[in-house]
Amino acid sequence: MRTNIKLMAALMAALLGAVACSQQGSSTGASPAGGSPQRGGQVTVLEDAAFAGGWPTGLDPATNATGGANLSQMQAIYGGLFLLTANPDGSGAKITPNQAQSYEIADGGKTLRIKLRPGLKFSDGTPFDAKAVVTNFKRDMTSTCTCKPIWILAKDGIAQEGDDTVVLRFAQPTGAAIDNFPIANVNWIVSPTALQQMGEDKFRVNPVGAGPFKVVSNRLSSELVLQRNPNYFKPGLPYLDRLTFKSIGGDQAAYQALLAGQAQAYEGLTTVPLLDQATKNDRLTVTSQPPTSPYVIQLNTSIPPFNNEKAREAIYYATDFDAIAKGLFKGKYPVSQSFTAPGGLFYHQQVPGYRTYDLAKAKQLVQEIGGINITLGTLGAYVARQVNTALQTQWRQAGINVKIEDYQLNTLVQKFNSKKWTAMLQTAGAWDPAAGVGVAFRFNSNSPFTGVKDPKLDALLNQAAGEVDPAKRDALYMQSGKYISDKAYAPFGLAFAPANLATKGVSGPGLTTKIPSLAVNNGIIWDQVWNSAK
Amino acid sequence: MTAIAQERGYRSTWARVLRSPALRLVVKRLLLAIPITLGVTILTFWVISLIPGNPAQQLLGPEATPQQIHQMELQLGLDRPAYERYLSWLGGAVHGDLGTSLVSGQPVTPQLADRLAVTGELVALAVFGSLALAIPVALLAARRPNGVFDRVSMFVSMAGLSVANYVLALVLVLVFSVKLGVLPAIGFVPLSQSVTGNLQSLVMPATAIGLPLFSIYTRFLRGDLVDQMQGQDYVMTAQAKGIDPWQVLVRHAFRNSSYGLIAVAGLNFGVIIGVTVIIESIFALPGLGQLMLQGINARDMVVIQACVVVFAVVTVIGNLVADLLQTVLDPRIRYGDR
Repeated sequence: MRTNIKLMAALMAALLGAVACSQQGSSTGASPAGGSPQRGGQVTVLEDAAFAGGWPTGLDPATNATGGANLSQMQAIYGGLFLLTANPDGSGAKITPNQAQSYEIADGGKTLRIKLRPGLKFSDGTPFDAKAVVTNFKRDMTSTCTCKPIWILAKDGIAQEGDDTVVLRFAQPTGAAIDNFPIANVNWIVSPTALQQMGEDKFRVNPVGAGPFKVVSNRLSSELVLQRNPNYFKPGLPYLDRLTFKSIGGDQAAYQALLAGQAQAYEGLTTVPLLDQATKNDRLTVTSQPPTSPYVIQLNTSIPPFNNEKAREAIYYATDFDAIAKGLFKGKYPVSQSFTAPGGLFYHQQVPGYRTYDLAKAKQLVQEIGGINITLGTLGAYVARQVNTALQTQWRQAGINVKIEDYQLNTLVQKFNSKKWTAMLQTAGAWDPAAGVGVAFRFNSNSPFTGVKDPKLDALLNQAAGEVDPAKRDALYMQSGKYISDKAYAPFGLAFAPANLATKGVSGPGLTTKIPSLAVNNGIIWDQVWNSAK
Repeated sequence: MTAIAQERGYRSTWARVLRSPALRLVVKRLLLAIPITLGVTILTFWVISLIPGNPAQQLLGPEATPQQIHQMELQLGLDRPAYERYLSWLGGAVHGDLGTSLVSGQPVTPQLADRLAVTGELVALAVFGSLALAIPVALLAARRPNGVFDRVSMFVSMAGLSVANYVLALVLVLVFSVKLGVLPAIGFVPLSQSVTGNLQSLVMPATAIGLPLFSIYTRFLRGDLVDQMQGQDYVMTAQAKGIDPWQVLVRHAFRNSSYGLIAVAGLNFGVIIGVTVIIESIFALPGLGQLMLQGINARDMVVIQACVVVFAVVTVIGNLVADLLQTVLDPRIRYGDR
């Protein structure tokens, strides 16, 4: 059914052309927030039911299984210890303390000390102190969500120092620990008192945090209504009185609802024809977020044919991502040769010695090894399916027999767990490659989602994640990228990031300004979103 | 004496009622609905258990360890044999407890009750709206076969049959919400909050479901009416008596044709329920279809099972009502001629 809804987006793109013709105005792509902030009003945000619009396990950070998809809802309710902030054009992205006042990395990256802002309170009036944060951290570490941070803690590694400081002690240097926060469940602190009073089952539906908004009603994966938190720690914020998240069946329906004035924002538009339409529409502000995760063609190196390096090399030579980027996406998205992208840290577009498109070499290699028969899978998303079809065409020209498949998330996880897949088109990397669904997620031997088992690569990635000095980390990631390329483990491709849409008059950081993507979507800072068209 | 006579009178009335073929038919249909519903629940339970993948894994996420998954399986009772789990579920279901969502941990019955009102109203509007339009259109078309009205109605019906519901939904939004701004593109206003708002929020979703139905009903009824008017003895008799042709069509032919229309409407019930899943998602309506889609995405077996059972029961009731209406209208069925 979700496939049908996605398909209809493509079907309707032509129809919408007619509408767009009558609505063409100045291009609004990537315009920063305009005007001065105003207090009051409300905003309804639409989220795709297939991703951010699904919160079936509720919104308790410790029990939510889709935290990476629900960044917006979490940010609005909990605020966050840290935020990823950036200049309006997306440059200068950095981790900014929010409910935390400051942090300190000590012992060569083995200790992280977080100092909290004084006098913080949850929206239920209880104190937001070190004890509450420690309780939260311990609880969050039992989570099985991919949004749980990858921390290897020392014994009693989570502790408090006084009422305002939390100390994390790691078993090994964890230089990237702080960069993990904006995408991890430990960033969202719940009121332990409210949790205890309600019990987990009720709390996940009516969560209590110290963020800019309080929950009024929550119909799981359908509608979340929030209202201004009068006890919020930032004077004058949030600007909005009310914020509503609504789940909707795909880009097309969301786009039309925005044009009809039924909602004021939509997060995560991925349908490229619609993006073109929206950019030409003078009633909308379209902000394409800086990409941080390039596509990667994961090759399962444990089984044939990709346990043979020549077969992997053939894939490298048969793949022309530049042509895909130009032909399918009009050059909108850059092509990477490694797991970094322009919006993220440690970005290098080129990797020395990377095997680029060479059809003759690909054909020769395929012949040499007596043919290649594979299945290329991916998640059932619009862009991924488009790329997969293009890859199939390119690879067939090199004599590779390829079948393409796309899966729902659940099936995709099962495919990876079965270890019997041959090739998968996925994304790799994150704003910080060591954070969230970063490079280790796709390349570390212990990850269930890897196609590579190479202790040397594991060591390189661990060293890079542990290193505190950014220059050294940069060098280590460059080395890791080159190693992956030399071994022909996985070709990288275009770095795609979805766009956010807002109706005119609605502005705010991450919504109408650029902030690098965290986990597909970026982190909108909801306390600073305002609506001047109320 | 008067009391005894009255008593005898009551008895004979009751005896007549109990001997009535119509009542027997109703009871027979009602009794048949029980094994059908039970069969649907067994089939659903069996099919869901065949879906690959582990609900515990789905619930815990991809990072869960085998120990955590095993613990969750025990907690959810997934280690028990399927028949035991089914019987336990059935025991709760007959007492109105359709279980607790595996994913959200919330009881399912209150959620269903809440959402059934939305879907029920949507389906009722779509079905009755399409019938209310299809009947006069078919009558007018059958009045002069191949006339202008007949040809126009055929064109509209063919268009309605050719367009997928979800495309139609988007076109409606484009015209009535985006261009004209007269109807809301998404959301639901409860009847208790505003009657006008409620109708406004449902008119487009109901049309998206109802237009193809209207097309089916119109074409079916028109065809049947033309057959009746052209070849049946009772029509010729009525015409020979000099009865106005319009009256022959409406009072005689239509009555006979309506039996088939009711049967078709009943059979379409299951299809309509399926369509609501997509339409509710497009219009962001908090109905049963949306809940079922969420259940499927999250592989929440309890929610899926509950939704399928409710849909099945509604479909069975819909067909039962269609059967009963046919019984009322058609003496051949009422008196057991067929």
